[in-house]
Amino acid sequence: MCDQNSSTNNPSHFENQNTSKEIPTHVDLRWDEYKESIKGFKFFDPHIHMVSRTTDDYQNMAQAGIVAVIEPAFWVGQPRTGLSSFKDYYSSLVGWERFRSSQFGIKHYCTIGLNSREANNERLAEEVMEILPLYIYKEGVVGIGEIGFDDQTDLEEKYYRLQLELAKEAKLPVQIHTPHRDKKRGTERSMAIALEHGLDPSWVVVDHNNEETVKSVLDQGFYAAFTIYPFTKMGNKRMVSIVEEYGSERIMINSSADWGISDPLAIPKTAALMVSRGISHEVIRKVTYENAIEAFAKSGQLDVSDFENGFSADPSDKFHGNSVLRGGQQPKWNQNSLFID
Amino acid sequence: MSQSVSLSLFSILKSHTTKEEMEWLDSIPKMHLESVMTAFVKAPRHLSKTIIQTPIGIGDLIPEVPGFTVQDWNLVRLSRVWLLSFFAQLPKEQLVQKIETLFDTAELNELVALFSALPILPYPDVWLPRATDAVRSNMGFVFDSIALCNPYPFFHFPELAWNQLVLKTIFNSKPIALIYGISQRKNKNLSESIFDFIRERWAAGRDIPSNVWLLVSPYISETHLPFLKRLFLSQKEEDVMAASLLCSESSLEPIQDLFNEHPKYKDEIQKGKWNWSNFMTVC
Repeated sequence: MCDQNSSTNNPSHFENQNTSKEIPTHVDLRWDEYKESIKGFKFFDPHIHMVSRTTDDYQNMAQAGIVAVIEPAFWVGQPRTGLSSFKDYYSSLVGWERFRSSQFGIKHYCTIGLNSREANNERLAEEVMEILPLYIYKEGVVGIGEIGFDDQTDLEEKYYRLQLELAKEAKLPVQIHTPHRDKKRGTERSMAIALEHGLDPSWVVVDHNNEETVKSVLDQGFYAAFTIYPFTKMGNKRMVSIVEEYGSERIMINSSADWGISDPLAIPKTAALMVSRGISHEVIRKVTYENAIEAFAKSGQLDVSDFENGFSADPSDKFHGNSVLRGGQQPKWNQNSLFID
Repeated sequence: MSQSVSLSLFSILKSHTTKEEMEWLDSIPKMHLESVMTAFVKAPRHLSKTIIQTPIGIGDLIPEVPGFTVQDWNLVRLSRVWLLSFFAQLPKEQLVQKIETLFDTAELNELVALFSALPILPYPDVWLPRATDAVRSNMGFVFDSIALCNPYPFFHFPELAWNQLVLKTIFNSKPIALIYGISQRKNKNLSESIFDFIRERWAAGRDIPSNVWLLVSPYISETHLPFLKRLFLSQKEEDVMAASLLCSESSLEPIQDLFNEHPKYKDEIQKGKWNWSNFMTVC
């Protein structure tokens, strides 16, 4: 079993594997500098880990036009030691987090799975597999994810295959995490195994692509998702070039924002950059909104009418009384004010 | 009890389902526990959220469980509670283990169904920690499912937990009239907490629902005169009415003197035109 604390064998999520000096490709943009260019756009972030983000992020995301998100189950940065931790985590994805999101007018979905890192803890992985059926059928669970390879161990493969079978049985799309190291081989292996299990590639979203993997993923009929994440994954200038080269078919953009140095506004910022580069609104709409909906709506759990025209975040709404908006708080308040009434 | 509960719930289910929905419900192997548990989770994939309307009087649905109602539930919630009724025949240890697993893995709507089912589950004391936790919940639906139109707290909550439920209902501006048995479980400790709560609310310039005064009515003493005086000066007519009712129930002289100073509703109360039920729509 791999040592999850060893940076040699299994470095952290945002550790840079490239020892050469890399120029950050993430573009710093202030809201005032790009808000006009994306006015009227609606965005769907199909991969973001809100459990590790703040309520301020929700406010900023809503302001920037993000109307819905998918939160895949992931590695929370510290290995879990027991089944209860998984249960609490999965429950937060379908419960509290969805509810918190709704208070800011953002529709929250999730994908549920055993992540590849923790697949290496076989005892725990077995226990998690037993309870997964009680989560994957829940309302608003739009897929099995994120699953796949990290270290590309035998155990990772075992649980990846088991979860592909679960996805087939439950008729749910799959969201594949491709490894940070040895990405190209890991991506090919993930796709080959999915096909071997008889999955329709149009039901599979391969995530964290780059220039090296995109062609093969698209050629084989899978969805290609790109994560705009500073330093370690895709920068948004590179992303624009990929859209220019490959078009918009089956391509989607996400932020994967989590506890690492990441940006929950990666999609609106990338859209703004696309606008400035002259990419058509239709193409931008497909890669920042429509394609993700098309892919995950196959679950039968995603209905655009739930968010397309916005929905009420009225704190007096008795549907969801809660402690995010205690005692009639409003979703927005003036943080620059000295007085807190 | 379990079989009659299942049958009662099923008869209501039948009148609210389509042919396809009923086929799915029929297809669940009721004796296979894991299948029932998965069906409990899967229900929204096969059933609509049709709102249940039952002609049976509220509280009379299952004679052995006074106060139990499914009125205004949706079909998914009702079918989940019906599925849980099949667990009732299990040995205690097995029943508890299965229900606890469903609680541990439940999302919001499943929690609502689980708490709604507490009045019909055997071994009521086992569920007490879950039920009191639900009162602490920040999820409005979950809180409502245990606090409102649910007879479990009335029959099984100790006084402290009951009082917390009532106070939180008031604090969250939810209708106390929907707490089953609210009038029967007034108590001195609750009245003291409510007086403290009212002081805090008034200090912050905030309002309180007029029907809250019902809960302190047997415990009014001379020390509460300032409360009554302020109520009589309220711009809300219901507050004046509440103050009048409170005075009418006290035989203390200073309180009667105050009542005489504000006699607007005195005659009508004495003639039986007004009482606390005017403030409460019973669940």
